[in-house]
Amino acid sequence: MSDARRVRPILRALGASWRAAWMTALAYRANFLADAVVTLFAAGATVLPVLFVFHGQETIAGWTASEALLVTGAFVVLQGLVEAAVEPNLRGLVDDIRFGTLDYVLLRPVDPQLLVSFRRLVPQRLVYSVGGFVILGVAASRLPEPPGLWAISAALTLLGVGAAVMYALWLLVVSTAFWFVRVDNLSYLLTSAMDAARWPIDVFRPVFRVLFSVVVPLGLMTTTPALALRGVLEPTSALSGLGVAVVFCAVSRAVWVRALRHYSSASS
Amino acid sequence: MNAISARGLTKTYRSPRKAQGLLASLRSLWHREHTVITAVSELDLELAPGETVGFLGPNGAGKTTTLKMLAGLIEPTAGTVRVLGYDSTQRPPELLRRLTLVMGNKQQLLWDLPPSETFELNRALYDVDRARFARIRDELVDLLALGSVIDRPARNLSLGERMKCELAAGLIHEPEVLFLDEPTIGLDVSMQVAVRQFIADWSRRHGATVLLTSHYMDDIAALCSRVVVIDGGRLRYDGALTALAERYAPERAVRIRLARPPVEPVGPLAVVGQELVGQVPAAAVPELLARVMATGEVLEVSVEPQPLEDALRRLFGGAA
Amino acid sequence: MLRALRAYPALLRIGFAAVVAYRAELVVWILTASMPLIMLGVFDRVADAGPVAGLDHAGVAGYFVAVLIVRQLASTWLVWELNQQIRTGALSAALLRPLHPLVWHSAETLATVPLRVVVLAPLLLPIWLWRPELQLALDPASLLVFTASVVLAWGVNFAVHTAFASLAFWLGQSMGLFQVWFGVWVLFSGYAIPLGAMPEWAQLFAEWAPFRAIIGIPADVLSGRVTLAHAPQLLAVQALWLCAFAALGGALWRRGVRRYEGQGA
Repeated sequence: MSDARRVRPILRALGASWRAAWMTALAYRANFLADAVVTLFAAGATVLPVLFVFHGQETIAGWTASEALLVTGAFVVLQGLVEAAVEPNLRGLVDDIRFGTLDYVLLRPVDPQLLVSFRRLVPQRLVYSVGGFVILGVAASRLPEPPGLWAISAALTLLGVGAAVMYALWLLVVSTAFWFVRVDNLSYLLTSAMDAARWPIDVFRPVFRVLFSVVVPLGLMTTTPALALRGVLEPTSALSGLGVAVVFCAVSRAVWVRALRHYSSASS
Repeated sequence: MNAISARGLTKTYRSPRKAQGLLASLRSLWHREHTVITAVSELDLELAPGETVGFLGPNGAGKTTTLKMLAGLIEPTAGTVRVLGYDSTQRPPELLRRLTLVMGNKQQLLWDLPPSETFELNRALYDVDRARFARIRDELVDLLALGSVIDRPARNLSLGERMKCELAAGLIHEPEVLFLDEPTIGLDVSMQVAVRQFIADWSRRHGATVLLTSHYMDDIAALCSRVVVIDGGRLRYDGALTALAERYAPERAVRIRLARPPVEPVGPLAVVGQELVGQVPAAAVPELLARVMATGEVLEVSVEPQPLEDALRRLFGGAA
Repeated sequence: MLRALRAYPALLRIGFAAVVAYRAELVVWILTASMPLIMLGVFDRVADAGPVAGLDHAGVAGYFVAVLIVRQLASTWLVWELNQQIRTGALSAALLRPLHPLVWHSAETLATVPLRVVVLAPLLLPIWLWRPELQLALDPASLLVFTASVVLAWGVNFAVHTAFASLAFWLGQSMGLFQVWFGVWVLFSGYAIPLGAMPEWAQLFAEWAPFRAIIGIPADVLSGRVTLAHAPQLLAVQALWLCAFAALGGALWRRGVRRYEGQGA
């Protein structure tokens, strides 16, 4: 089968799922608007901890407040994607396993991984990502040397790589749902550990860096895009980041496949 | 080639034994005890294309497990399954496009949207072209008398309306093999009749192969000339429904109302007020009637076959 | 009241059995309160340039260890539980029992304390090995003040949870509102940032807001930054907030339950 014939039905299926998700969100219009407004404020509020921590400090670990805000901005962009597109699917999967409706998903003639991880969407949470881009923009404009086109496209690429790593991490957590059904708790743990990614990785001493990076390749997700915007990113670290992303995606895919096999051999 | 073909289908699984009490549950932290449960054992099953077969058995007999193994959702511990010639445990997309599973107690409709949106979603998932989709949708709306129901949010529909829409959503890709697990569960009698009628019409029009489980014997009697009965995961009966009734419910309930109260019992018939009442083997009914007619004036005669439930109860040794 | 007291040991026992049964989930939940660890990492670096709000490296470590401990001891999941019970209608059954549902929930919360201590200890040990000079105020007088302070903090938190959960009687779902409270709480309670390290205006706000009654005050006591002479004043602040929120939570709860029963839910 050619790649085009394989990809098209998937795109069509996701398109239809997202259409349904938008319609569901708009079915509760007041809730949609309220949620969007609160989300926007929440995105704005992420600036406060940075300002508070930098109160009375010129630089911390070689980062000025504006530069640290680049990291926070990147974090907010990724967090918005997770809340809009990844988390609802994880929680949905947990329900699907509990109530047995996952069977319907598995019987669709489309790759179940894509269907399980992308069919649900909470569109109003994308506002959070928009807020993240605003923070990125404002912080970048306050740099001594505003980033050029090259730096911006590198940063966007690295944000994409970060999103892929984030997705792979969540897929790993999702997969464990097949063994331990109550993983919604595990997702909160991942969310809280992810909070460390608000800060430039250099801020943490090696002890902490090990502690956090074992679970979450933090620097890769948020610090490298910020370094790119500052124009101080080493090409080698960008490349190794890409490598890490590929490895993460491959591992999570393998675990997912095993999890599905476990599901179909252990359930009744 | 048969539409569905299963040989030696077996499913066992381990289940942790739940500990009772605080101390025991503390102990279970360290080691858990397991019991091996055999859900389905050495089941052989063949369905010809276009056949509608009823799948019966008491609760926990392994019906749903079997259905899911046939659909490819559960991997058999042993045995082989072929559906439309494919190994269904691999769930190849070519096969998935041609089968459906509708479960009466689980829903696939998008809760906050009208069913028409679920249909549209399934159209995309199954890659049905628009002209064909419109034709099938109209046919389903017509056969199920859905009308405007498909344009109201699913959460506002009655149970019966929702079940009809579940069926329609499961059939929008015109599958050739239908696994229906309790499609009439919880519905009132008239809605049961409507759903039953629809399944009969649809499978006749489309030549679909249907494997149906139901707790309502009326469903089975109306739809299936052949039934498969399992109990404790083992095949107990596979054959014509009429033969099942003959074998396990061979008696007739006879009730004869006489003009004058009868004085004494006639054969197996006992005296109850002004009537003679009793269970009589089908073959003995004509002779018995003749004997009663000879003794006095008969006002009314009723001879009824035993309900199918009786046949099953006897088959399961009173467990059903 | 007397009956509730007599039933309490049994409630604690049942609550503890539930803790054992759901231990895996609870451990994960307890570990989600990891933000003080992250902020310890951040402020440990900030302290390189000299003390922040009077905290050097050992002071920062001591402060956040205290925050971690207070967070676990003064914690409750009431708002989640009640939201769920109201949504699923399970509260109706709970209201029929001759025991106040909040009494039961308080026992449920207290029953988790042993597990919290067990989970917390292995987290604190490496911090202590890493900064052995960190100090907590563990003399009897300070411990007495801390105990009073942490009990008050738990009370304020429980009352706040009751108030937010009760809003679900009208809104059907009050988790979103609680998240807003929680977001502000994280910033202005001393949970993420020692209040003294914040800009003037933020400090002023934090001082007059209820948030520090739940974390900041007991954490300051435990990390030895409160003189015994100053302690009564801080405890009084906590007690005041407890009264305020208990009154608010109680009123909302009573009206909400009446409404809930009126709907025949």
